[in-house]
Amino acid sequence: MIRRKFSLAAAVVTASAISLTACSGGETPAADLTTVSIMAPFLEAQPPSADGAVQKKLEELTGKDVNIAWTPNSSYEDKTNITLAGSGIPHIMVIQGKTPGFVKNAEAGAFWDLTDKLDDYPNLKTTFPEIQQNASVNGKVYGVFRGRAPMRAAVMFRQDWLDKLGLEAPKTTEDLYKVAKAFTEQDPDGNGQDDTWGITIPKWGALGTNSPYDFIETWYGAGNRWTEKDGKLIPSFETEEFLEANRFVKKMVDEKLINPDFATFDGTKWNEPFFNGKGGIIVDVDSRVSVLVNLFKQADPNNFENKVGFVGNLEGPDGELHAHPTDGYSGFLAVPKASVRTEAELDKVLEFLNTLNSKDVAILLNNGIEGVNFTVEDGKAATIKPETEEGKVVNTDIKSYPQLGMNVKGNEFYPVKQATDYEQQVFDKRTEVMARDLESAVYNPAAPYVSATYVAKGAQLDNIVADARIKYLAGQIDEQGLKDAIKLWNTSGGDKVKEEINKLWQDNK
Amino acid sequence: MAAPVVEAEASGRAASRPPARERKNGRFSVHFAHYKWLYLLLLPGVLYFAIFRYGPMYGVSIAFKDYVPFLGINGSPWVGFQHFQDFFANPDFPRLLWNTLVLAFLNLGIAFPLTIVLALLLNEVRLTILKRTVQTLVYIPHFLSWTIVASLSFLLFALDIGPLFQFLNTVMGTNTDFLSDPAWFRPLIVLQEIWKNTGWGTIIFLAALATVDQDQYEAAIIDGAGRFRRVWHITLPGIRSTIIVMLILAIGQMLNTGFEQIYLMTNALNREVADVFDTYVYFVGITQGAYSYSTAVGLFKAVVGIVLIFGTNALAKRFNQSGLF
Repeated sequence: MIRRKFSLAAAVVTASAISLTACSGGETPAADLTTVSIMAPFLEAQPPSADGAVQKKLEELTGKDVNIAWTPNSSYEDKTNITLAGSGIPHIMVIQGKTPGFVKNAEAGAFWDLTDKLDDYPNLKTTFPEIQQNASVNGKVYGVFRGRAPMRAAVMFRQDWLDKLGLEAPKTTEDLYKVAKAFTEQDPDGNGQDDTWGITIPKWGALGTNSPYDFIETWYGAGNRWTEKDGKLIPSFETEEFLEANRFVKKMVDEKLINPDFATFDGTKWNEPFFNGKGGIIVDVDSRVSVLVNLFKQADPNNFENKVGFVGNLEGPDGELHAHPTDGYSGFLAVPKASVRTEAELDKVLEFLNTLNSKDVAILLNNGIEGVNFTVEDGKAATIKPETEEGKVVNTDIKSYPQLGMNVKGNEFYPVKQATDYEQQVFDKRTEVMARDLESAVYNPAAPYVSATYVAKGAQLDNIVADARIKYLAGQIDEQGLKDAIKLWNTSGGDKVKEEINKLWQDNK
Repeated sequence: MAAPVVEAEASGRAASRPPARERKNGRFSVHFAHYKWLYLLLLPGVLYFAIFRYGPMYGVSIAFKDYVPFLGINGSPWVGFQHFQDFFANPDFPRLLWNTLVLAFLNLGIAFPLTIVLALLLNEVRLTILKRTVQTLVYIPHFLSWTIVASLSFLLFALDIGPLFQFLNTVMGTNTDFLSDPAWFRPLIVLQEIWKNTGWGTIIFLAALATVDQDQYEAAIIDGAGRFRRVWHITLPGIRSTIIVMLILAIGQMLNTGFEQIYLMTNALNREVADVFDTYVYFVGITQGAYSYSTAVGLFKAVVGIVLIFGTNALAKRFNQSGLF
């Protein structure tokens, strides 16, 4: 393992040597910023083509030479740190979240504080100040956040099973239990065998990562990561509702309504039991609805409708809807001080970001080029079929370019027109359900705050509770064991985290 | 180019007993001049080690600093032994140490002797074609990555449907989920290690076995020694020094419990017994960005490794007068 450390250092040395040569042409005096360099992640198999039509159009619209260092997502955090440690730092860096590494760098002064700057630029002035606040580090905004749909929690189920058993779509957590029980015990696939179960949950332990457990806890009223009680913030897992929610899940595990290998089941195979008719329910983000619909469509294009049903967040036992939102952002675009040295230079970079966040560029990044790969039909982007050679490149590239999009004023690009009427219906229903749930969203009151202790050992601390939760559900420990783990969280440093978060919260109220 | 060498040599010889220090310097320059082409050949190797092995060790200094990438290795503040103190005081420390040591000794105590046993068995096979075939077959698993080994394990031991899950539970009359039961974590890891690396490990022992004097076997047969007697009195003493060298090397690697393997087999239900130094360093260092702290942990592990190597070497020398160095 120590060798890893050495090779990390070696990588730093070589990486900086390489970037020195790579960027020797890009370092222009920023008084007249002609080339803008950006570091961004890509999740596809290939980065976008450097001389593709999207890149050319982007340079045309922004009036700059845009030099994007596409970096594989899997090693992005490592590369970020290596880049910051070396020279040849880009003007703009996509930062994927408030990781401990980022917070340390930011507090050491690696990035410009943009808190008082962004409102001067029409396209950077957000219409969602609470999300900008969530993305800040204790109120300091170190980047332009990348807006994402804030409401995504959904329950999806086999509609054909539901219809066969004559059941209604679940509205409450109690309904979820009833449907799961019926799916397990009433032979919903009609093959005469006891070979189905209710909910499929994959190996997914970590706290506050929008897991099925997190959703159910929020629906029960435990809050979202942190919750206010008696004028103080406490972690959700210290509420009575957290225990109730987990008793509820444990009951389903004990009655075999949940796949028995939930602690080890591979998350990449999550769709398989649903598609193959083994487990009829998935609790996840709503985008999976369309993925599932598409799976059935590919298997049988003539008979895929009414296989997948879904609802949004479920009402808890108290009869109220506590919807579980995400933080509403996925990282931010930050400006390193090492490459942008003066305020004048910073203004130029922010001007560029302002253009990058204009409607025209948003359409380019997300939809592509009108007439080449899409046309506008009733305010929606319809993909041109069959795709031309040029359109194909654009369609591939726009899978990666949205990484540069910020959309701090909401999505200004066109929604994608779905391939069939049924899929369009599903998509529209998703939009509608999520918009409705957003009104009942329970936000994380501690989202903007970063506690020093949590930065140092938060992940280890949270693991104590996260593992105990799974152990409790699997029957390895009892409820007292779960409570003991929460106590251990407190004594191992959680007390300090609570103290620091509460102080930050009070100070910023 | 040969002329200066000869000259230097000549002058070196000509000097009759100069004062000690001068003589020494003189000798070295003579020596160097004489072998300069050999030194030149050595140079790439030295540079390689200096640049890629020793140079990066400078980075170890972040174990004594509060490293922030933006500030760089030199700019980060010095904190001395703070990270080591934190680690030793951490409640995770005894658990990590215990898990690492238990796995290390299980691997050393079971997998290592099995390698020798397999080599001896192969050595006793007289039919060459059979021997070669078996050898090739047992080498193959070594070339599969841990990801594949873990995936195979997941398939074989899958809850309710895995063939080994069904077989073992039927035989034992239980209903154990081997993949998540903490009691089965270590047996699984050792089993995987044996399956993957035992065959490969026999190579060196087989080479050593080939050097054992065949006449001794003939003599032993004439004296009426059976197979086990021959193995015990001739084969094993014949490869004793190889076994000791391999043991020393294995002990040096002992704490490297195999990051990939353990990482892949860990889940929330067995983490209690699965966490070892390697996975901890990854978890804390890479996913939490605590570079200094995890470097300190890694450095501690490396120091223990060095102590173990020297310790075993000293013990081996004491008892057998033959060590690794």
